[in-house]
Amino acid sequence: MHEEWTDKLSDYLDGELPGDEREAVESHLAGCAPCRNVLEDLRRVIARARSIQPRPPHQDLWAGIAERIEARPASDKVTPLHASEAQRPLRMPSRRISFSLPQLAAAAVLLMALSGGVVWLIVSRPEGLHYNQSNAGVQVPRSEGSSADVQVPGNGGSSADLPPSREASADRRSLGEGGQVRRDDDVQAASVTFADQQYDAAVADLEGAVHKGRGRLDANTIAIVEHNLQIIDQAIAQARQALGADPANSYLSSHLVEARRRKLDLLRRTAALTGETD
Amino acid sequence: MIHVATAVMTLSGETPIRGGIDSDVALAARGDSSAFERLYRTHVARIHSLTRRMLGRDQADEVTQDIFVRTWQKLGQFRGDSQFSTWLHRLAVNVVIERRRSFALQRERLTDDPAALDLVTVAPGRTDLTVDFEHAMEQLPPGAREIFVLHDVEGYKHREIAAMLEIAAGTSKRQLHRARMLMRKHLNG
Repeated sequence: MHEEWTDKLSDYLDGELPGDEREAVESHLAGCAPCRNVLEDLRRVIARARSIQPRPPHQDLWAGIAERIEARPASDKVTPLHASEAQRPLRMPSRRISFSLPQLAAAAVLLMALSGGVVWLIVSRPEGLHYNQSNAGVQVPRSEGSSADVQVPGNGGSSADLPPSREASADRRSLGEGGQVRRDDDVQAASVTFADQQYDAAVADLEGAVHKGRGRLDANTIAIVEHNLQIIDQAIAQARQALGADPANSYLSSHLVEARRRKLDLLRRTAALTGETD
Repeated sequence: MIHVATAVMTLSGETPIRGGIDSDVALAARGDSSAFERLYRTHVARIHSLTRRMLGRDQADEVTQDIFVRTWQKLGQFRGDSQFSTWLHRLAVNVVIERRRSFALQRERLTDDPAALDLVTVAPGRTDLTVDFEHAMEQLPPGAREIFVLHDVEGYKHREIAAMLEIAAGTSKRQLHRARMLMRKHLNG
């Protein structure tokens, strides 16, 4: 092997040699088998390099990215969908808050006490929880600092003529016959259902708005939205299934919450495009 | 009829980005993190592969995240003069190069010292890497490795690499040949 020639082989293969040097290399190669072997090896190296395929990371990196981009908008400003939103800041400045171990322990005890109190109030209500065919809603006892009573629309409500979403249908499976929540149900399951029902009502309202205004969107847009909704619904269904097997998994819980939030957000944006929520 | 991309652009009263841009890019540029997640999932394999090959496995995850956060911040500057994937890739290369410079490795490893080639050897006992081309690539000396990745894997020209790395085109050529000769040893076991 002659280094004065092999050193030129990469440039030769890349077409980087001027004409006279190229001819000189070809002339040498014609009579030098070792240099021809090097040339073939380099061709193999280049071919392999060009053929290697991208590989995804071993772990999903999105959570770390999402956490960081949530703290700062994509561009200088995020366009609000409603004029009223323009009057308030989009995000509060984030603050890093830390607690000592004793503080966390005290907070945990306080949380347990509060949760127990709420559960006791729910279970001890004489009329119990009910979800019936009328417009009567589930009355959640108001505690200090909580939101107002949660009104769950019955079948006669404004969303009665809307096709229920798949996941909303799945949520409603937690209700008893005739929509009654059984008193002997697991209390934790019942408390989760409040949020589900509130969420279902919002989803149903937005689906109705989108349904009414879909004539103002072109077919391509509708297809994109429906495709994305399908993906989100699949994510929700998978998270639910996984939670069924591992109910205490906090990651799965947060994943489910996030997927539901995204569905609501997509519906809200789509409804805004149709003008049905203006 | 309203198209999502156009509608989203005009909600702010700004001039719409010209047509042909993927709607997820347009949505993400206006703050839609769901659209941005779809972009991430579409492109993460290529970006992570680039960072892994250029910087090594240890830094690949962190730098990939940095690249996508930077992308999110700069999406408003994307005007569709090129494919989004091309724009993203170039941004990724820039982040990788910045990272390397921050470690003060660049100058040491890209010196145009002919004697440097003599110091390059394949680690003894690592000939098993011949069966794993990519792993072998990660064993290249960093200066040669990044030029090999940029030229032979990613398809950049010497003049582009020279501009990005702020080196002479001749240095890029020499480092590439050095890398190929080392990879040849791996292939031949």
